[in-house]
Amino acid sequence: MRPAPAARHVWTASLAAATSVFGVRTSAAQTTATVDIGVSTVRYDGFLPSAAGSLTPALTWERPGAVVTARGTYLRFESGRRSLQGLMAASLFTPPSLLPHRWRGELSLSTGGSNYADFASFWHATGEARLHYVGAGRGAWIGGTGGRTSYGSAPRPVAVAGVGVWARRAQVTLAASATRSFVGDTAYSDVGATIHASRGRFEVDGSLAARLSSHGAGHGVYGEASTTFTLGERTALLISGGRYPTDPVSGSVAGRYLSAGLRLRTPLLRPRPIRDPPLPSRSPANGDGGGSADVTARLEVKPAPDGTVRLVVYAPAAATVELAGDFTDWQPVALQPTSEGAWESVQHIPVGVHRVNVRIDGGRWTAPAGTTRTTDEFGGEVGIVAVP
Amino acid sequence: MRPTCTRAALPLLVAMVVAGRATAQQPDSRLERLDAATRPTVVALVDSARTAMLPTEPLVQRALEGATKRASGDAIVAAVRRLAADLGHARDALGSTASPAELTAGAAALRAGASQATLAQLRHARREPLTVPLAVLADLVASGVPVDSAAAAVLGLAARARDADLVEFRRAVERDIALGAPPAAATAAAATAAEVWVNAGARQQRPGRP
Repeated sequence: MRPAPAARHVWTASLAAATSVFGVRTSAAQTTATVDIGVSTVRYDGFLPSAAGSLTPALTWERPGAVVTARGTYLRFESGRRSLQGLMAASLFTPPSLLPHRWRGELSLSTGGSNYADFASFWHATGEARLHYVGAGRGAWIGGTGGRTSYGSAPRPVAVAGVGVWARRAQVTLAASATRSFVGDTAYSDVGATIHASRGRFEVDGSLAARLSSHGAGHGVYGEASTTFTLGERTALLISGGRYPTDPVSGSVAGRYLSAGLRLRTPLLRPRPIRDPPLPSRSPANGDGGGSADVTARLEVKPAPDGTVRLVVYAPAAATVELAGDFTDWQPVALQPTSEGAWESVQHIPVGVHRVNVRIDGGRWTAPAGTTRTTDEFGGEVGIVAVP
Repeated sequence: MRPTCTRAALPLLVAMVVAGRATAQQPDSRLERLDAATRPTVVALVDSARTAMLPTEPLVQRALEGATKRASGDAIVAAVRRLAADLGHARDALGSTASPAELTAGAAALRAGASQATLAQLRHARREPLTVPLAVLADLVASGVPVDSAAAAVLGLAARARDADLVEFRRAVERDIALGAPPAAATAAAATAAEVWVNAGARQQRPGRP
């Protein structure tokens, strides 16, 4: 279930070294956590069908150019037996300045293990290097993987070579890849394609693959599909199913399944934003009253399908909130309180760049958070927003 | 003889009509919010812009902004004059077919530090309206991204990216800057991250697979 100590040390050292080489800065990272609770019906090749309940917590840490994911799965079969799986994977990209334009390097590390009913256990630790060519909405990669895997016996070497291409248009991403894998004396080739699409609250993933030229890893055509329907900010429904091949690296056995579940997502865990510094002192040319000058408001611009734009200002401590911009002829517009701390107004705002200021309790005109602040040529500041 | 006279008189006639329409244009009533000493100068600047076929609404709005903020007349006139010049430079770079929204966004980008060459490159690279790319460019620079880095990122994305993609790219940069990333690094990383949709770790996530 868990990597051997030596493997863990190698992985940890590799991650630390890669973190240093790739220049990852933890200060810009953000973390999300999810828990999937589901039920499945599964039939592993050579076994009878079985129902199972599953619990899958996952933690993702990401920043530009780096993603680390840790996930585990607890499965309880109708027979009463249980299975535990754990995986940690990281992808680190080279900085854009390191390689020629449009080329990026990637180092991926993966380690994990699984255990079934106290008598079958696997672990693996692998590293992969990829070279990406990134065009406009399309790309290609070539990569190689090395590492070790064990099925309760002496570890076996893992070597994989692969190439892939991908293309993205609007909300759809298509990818295709071909790999040749060697795990001890087992060898096999996989070719396949994946699609990812999203629209509104729906996300759909699909894959179709074939295993060829296999010695000890089975043959066949495989396919999986899953859809995610977002219910709210922190909840989503998951439905997935399909057939997948044996994976000699991670130790999973070929099977077919149908699953349904609920995903719970934690709020975004990240450091407190530092974007909004204290507002500058009041300028004689910039205000016309006293009021709560130190209250900081936050503006959200929400275009609606009917062409109007809903302007929402969050100012919990305010008694009055006014807004003026080049879409109001710079006439102050009083916002209406809607919910706790939120004030809003609906305006007709044409597409383009607009300047806006907010005034709290008759104080000075300020550039609200949520806009790009810049000096306004009149001794104060103004917020810039783009309405697409 | 008569055709020659006609050819000579035609441009003069057109010029008189255009000039007549310009002088016949009533001052924008919204400018009455300016004080009596400032208003004539601003009206003259607006009329000059109209004659030069530049959009006048941004100039009126800039003057009204100054009035709302109780700026001095000199500050208002200077701001309007500078914006009119920026709009002219933006049109030089973007071409005479540029829309008022594009010119306004272009003027903001120039004021932020982008070069006319960058604007011209954007026009060449993208068939769709440039309003959002120019807005993103100006926005990035205002956020502290060096103008060269911002221009390179927007130029790299502008050819194929939709407006919504550019807005999302801008949000990613904003988020990372807010989280402490250096603006230039955040821009470069987001520009690339927006393109690298397939990574080695992605295939290891199969939701629901038992």
